[in-house]
Amino acid sequence: MKINSIDPRVNRSKIDPEKKFEEAKELDQWQTFEVFQQIKRGMHHQHVGCVHAPSPEIAFLFAKEQYARRGQCVNIWVVKSSDVFATEYEDADIFDSAPEKFHRDPSTYKVMDRIQAFKERQKS
Amino acid sequence: MNISEKGFFAIKEMLYKIADDQLILGHRNSEWTGLGPVLEEDIAFSSMAQDKIGHSLAMYEILSQMGESDPDTIAFMRNDDQFHCCHLVEYPIGEYEFSLMRHFFFDMAEAIRFEMLANSTFEPLAMVARKIKGEIKYHTMHAQIWINQLGAATEESNLRMQKALNETFPLALGIFEPGTHEEILAEEGIFEGEKALQDKWLQLVTPILEKAGLQVPSISSITPSYGGRFGSHTPHLQPMLEEMTEVFRIDPSAEW
Amino acid sequence: MYGNAYIDPSLAPNKLTQDEDPIKLAEFEARIAAGDKIEPKDWMPTEYRKQLIRMIEQHAHSEIIGSLPEGTWITRAPGFRRKLALIAKVQDEVGHAQLLYSAAETLGKPREEMINDLISGKSKYSNVFNYPAITWADTAVIAWLIDAGAIVNQLANSKGSYGPYVRALDRICAEESFHLKYGHDNVVYLATGTPKQRQMVQEALTRWWPPIMHFFGPSDKISVHTETLMKWKVKMASNDDMRQTFLNMYVPKIWDLGLVLPDPNLKKNTETGLWEYTEPDWEEFKRVINGDGPCNAERLAVRRQAEEKGRWVRQALLSKDSRYVTPLV
Repeated sequence: MKINSIDPRVNRSKIDPEKKFEEAKELDQWQTFEVFQQIKRGMHHQHVGCVHAPSPEIAFLFAKEQYARRGQCVNIWVVKSSDVFATEYEDADIFDSAPEKFHRDPSTYKVMDRIQAFKERQKS
Repeated sequence: MNISEKGFFAIKEMLYKIADDQLILGHRNSEWTGLGPVLEEDIAFSSMAQDKIGHSLAMYEILSQMGESDPDTIAFMRNDDQFHCCHLVEYPIGEYEFSLMRHFFFDMAEAIRFEMLANSTFEPLAMVARKIKGEIKYHTMHAQIWINQLGAATEESNLRMQKALNETFPLALGIFEPGTHEEILAEEGIFEGEKALQDKWLQLVTPILEKAGLQVPSISSITPSYGGRFGSHTPHLQPMLEEMTEVFRIDPSAEW
Repeated sequence: MYGNAYIDPSLAPNKLTQDEDPIKLAEFEARIAAGDKIEPKDWMPTEYRKQLIRMIEQHAHSEIIGSLPEGTWITRAPGFRRKLALIAKVQDEVGHAQLLYSAAETLGKPREEMINDLISGKSKYSNVFNYPAITWADTAVIAWLIDAGAIVNQLANSKGSYGPYVRALDRICAEESFHLKYGHDNVVYLATGTPKQRQMVQEALTRWWPPIMHFFGPSDKISVHTETLMKWKVKMASNDDMRQTFLNMYVPKIWDLGLVLPDPNLKKNTETGLWEYTEPDWEEFKRVINGDGPCNAERLAVRRQAEEKGRWVRQALLSKDSRYVTPLV
């Protein structure tokens, strides 16, 4: 039996439709790299996704076309996923109180009333 | 721009050759889209195919401005004997190692060619050469990294890559088949010539291949696959053109 | 390009919430109700994970298999403009597959395993891709209307609860808008072109209408199953709602070009505001999804061969000290 396709590429590739598929073995795949992209000089690199690749060089080749084939980009970082140390979401409470630190909040420093009162006192 | 009438014809011949190479190779490489060896490489290879076709379009546009037909007509309405591509680009995509080795040989030559053309006295071409520099640079990075990593990775990969190298090398030498107007091109500062290009190319590719654990045949032992530049092609080209133009030819006067 | 996750109605509703820690489940559901996203390492109900993997995986398979019907014409696109655009479009579908597989991987299923399941027929993909693109005009209809349907679905799903899927969909939706414009442009050129071109596009539309009506899947009866999936923001809209949105947006545009849809009963009920149509042939839908469509065998054989041809490349560069780990995405 032969596949008679409308796609000439498929006909050229002479597929044997009866052939049994040999499943890929466990971990017949490359490691993953996380991709960080800088849109413009002066901006931070941003995490945009991952690629499967056997080496950082190939990860870069892949990242460039998967994440920067349209739109602006000036720089790419690729980092082995396994090298990223990430916090646990269940520990997210360690960040909870950060927005409440009044002594870091510029809007809590209100001195105009004091200056005004001082000026009034000077006048009298 | 001070280009003589003879120079004008020489430029046309050269542009056809460059553009036809890019179109046919871009077309061939686009066949991998959706069928590549790994998703990410599928994407990268497809981008380079698009770049190549885009480069050929830029060349055909220059030709149009020099009085030739519009790019679609040039690309989609000629038969094989009117094409000036080298044999290397005509072959079907084959196995991945074949496509990869062809891409390596071709793009290394392309990078040098456009580096030379960036200083051409023919300004429209020099302009395009400067504009596409970055794209071609990526193509050569892609090719070199792959060759370097696959060349000696395993016994199988080494065998496959060496076999692909042996098959494509004589075809690759066909890139540098001299044209009829080499001297005029050189005299008028348009392009230094295929001989110079071939020398630079060989100097560039040899150490990369050797470092990757591959053997480069001695050039004197090889008969380059010539003829393409003069319209004599492998049997692969005409069927490819028929396929490529199947829809276009339903009605060439229609807007698709 | 994707319709909707196919939930086989004959399957018994799963035990969705049993055996889960009630406190964690309540926290999880409260998070979703508050509009917060779930991230890969969060606690999640087993069924949530299972359904998401199934759905994102189906979506990813649909993209990679979906590259084949249009890829049929990749070597024959007429003229530079179409040639470049079609290659770029098919390439984008492969790119979408990559993004979606990555999102699914974060739930713990490696890519290779998903691809094995695709090729062995264990997991499904969108049914429409089991139909052939017989002429160039079919690719135009696919690029316009199948992608339009996909956008309806993906926009809905991009408001879902799972972070990595939502992020992938945001990127995908942005790219699909190029596909939609390209497809529309392509159909318009054919419909307003020569009589031959017009005939080509009409025939393609007639061929593709039944699969398009199948695209969002059969009416889903509200069951405990779908209710929970909707509460968890895994399933975002009912199949019928999405079909209505699609018909409402695109039927007028199709009619505007003077093209005929092969359903005499298709009309908008001015009172209900809903579209009425002849019920699609769901028997055929089931038959095709279970393997007996015009192109099922070819699609899987092509994918299988691509996998096999690429295997030596992947194996040559495997190394012991660079083991696969689940990506972060």
